[in-house]
Amino acid sequence: MNNDVVINTARLTKYYGKQLGIAEVDLTVNRGEVFGYLGPNGAGKTTTIRTLLDFIRPTGGSAAIFGLDARQGSVAIHRRVGYLNGELSLYDDMTGEQLLRYLGNLRGGLDWQYVKELAARFQCDLPRRIQGLSLGNKQKLGLLQAFMHKPELLILDEPTNGLDPLMQHEFYDLLAETKKEGRTIFLSSHILPEVEKVCDRVGIIRQGKLITVETIESLKSHSIRQLEIHFAAPVPANKFTNIPGVRDIVIRDNLLTCTVVGSLDALVKTAARFEVANIISHEPSLEDIFMTYYNGGKNDAE
Amino acid sequence: MLNNIFLKTLRDQRRSFLMWGGYLVAIGVLMALFYPTISSMTSFNQYLNQLPEGLKEMFGTGLVDYTSPVGYFSTELFSLMVPLLLLVFGIGFGANAIAGEEEKGTLGFLLTNPVPRWRVVADKFAVLVVSMALLGFFFWAGLAITVSAMNIDVNLLKLAEATLGACALALVFAAVAFLTGCVKGSKGVSMGVASGLAVLTYLLNTLGGVVTGLKNYRFISPFYHYMEPDTLKNGLSPVHVLILLGLVIVFFAFSIPAFIRRDIAR
Repeated sequence: MNNDVVINTARLTKYYGKQLGIAEVDLTVNRGEVFGYLGPNGAGKTTTIRTLLDFIRPTGGSAAIFGLDARQGSVAIHRRVGYLNGELSLYDDMTGEQLLRYLGNLRGGLDWQYVKELAARFQCDLPRRIQGLSLGNKQKLGLLQAFMHKPELLILDEPTNGLDPLMQHEFYDLLAETKKEGRTIFLSSHILPEVEKVCDRVGIIRQGKLITVETIESLKSHSIRQLEIHFAAPVPANKFTNIPGVRDIVIRDNLLTCTVVGSLDALVKTAARFEVANIISHEPSLEDIFMTYYNGGKNDAE
Repeated sequence: MLNNIFLKTLRDQRRSFLMWGGYLVAIGVLMALFYPTISSMTSFNQYLNQLPEGLKEMFGTGLVDYTSPVGYFSTELFSLMVPLLLLVFGIGFGANAIAGEEEKGTLGFLLTNPVPRWRVVADKFAVLVVSMALLGFFFWAGLAITVSAMNIDVNLLKLAEATLGACALALVFAAVAFLTGCVKGSKGVSMGVASGLAVLTYLLNTLGGVVTGLKNYRFISPFYHYMEPDTLKNGLSPVHVLILLGLVIVFFAFSIPAFIRRDIAR
């Protein structure tokens, strides 16, 4: 197997009884990349991750990490992987330090100096019992245990859950350093701006199906945006017909609202012929992006 | 100190262990302290011997000679109290070991580490066996010291053997709870299955002593193999203890593949 492929799934499928988890997911994640796994809650992100880690077994297809079968090679894989659970539950009656030392022992020892460095960066109060920690502080411990043994691959399920903006920033820095060292990151999220900020490529999953995998640039290029243009005076509607990429255009007096797919250029140039008071662009929501890929943009019945 | 899952599990149940250990030591010591009062009530024996067969069966053969040390301890400690305490501890531990951790959501967290699943099962089961042995030892030690100090005429080795029997009995049902946890991942179900089975097999053995139709099925009940040898009087019956420990080993052996093959809930 190609040494540069870190995660590889082939028609990976998981049914929980009759309920679909994921269907025929084909994923390839390469060494050294930050791969974003994007989808709304319940789309199958966690199911995919739990299958990769051999917590659950596929009902069809296969998954390999480092070229090892996810099931047969699970112990060897886990040795080289750091994982942050999306629904983090820690041993509440331990202190942070006890927990990390215990996990370190299960991994056959740790560079404690590095753990202390990370703890300082994330302002973790290691001597405190986990029970009394806030959600954010637990999440920081979760991050620490994922990164502390410097794994080749990090699988992070909703890693910024509960982190304040400062800590999020620190986390993004850590991701960048990790990437620089040639390590691989697989990150699931339902927050588009986060994925845009840190990822090289994105896989979008919805209702158990992987809809598309592409680079961030390409994702942005045909992303959908809601636009509001406020003019100084009422504008004639006929000047705004047939602009490429513009849909659902509504003009009422001096307010124009529309949906733009991809580049804003044509619309902005048309609008510039009139006096523009204000332009408000709404970041595309995840659902908007799904709409682009789903049924060619037409609303589905749900 | 927390070098592996075994030590971590041992640490996790330290409070529960101390509590049950305290109960067991206390009950052994107290019962020994009460013995002189009982031994002076010789008319008690005649009364007890007039009890219906069914009741006698419940309290075991010790009832025949209740005011003797062997009869007294068999009835008061070994017929119900000690096995019951060990059972409750064992079933609680067995249900908590895998299923409890799964319900808390920490099992997936544990399995993220480079530890094979069989190892998690084996380490946790080892803690169960070690805890049971220690509880038995503490109970025996408390009782042995007290009876020695009070010059009560009872064989300390046979006390130890009877305690061993009770531990083996409790381990059978603890292993049922453990196995059910490995199969289903639910603490409630594990406790229900193990306690239900304990009650049913207890009744089977007790009723089997009086109801002729059930007599031939008593051997199915672990309680039969615990009660029948009358260990405190006759000494250890290796066959019966081996049957109990054999069951424990079988349930443990099934726990490993059951846990390896299934999906982890959380």
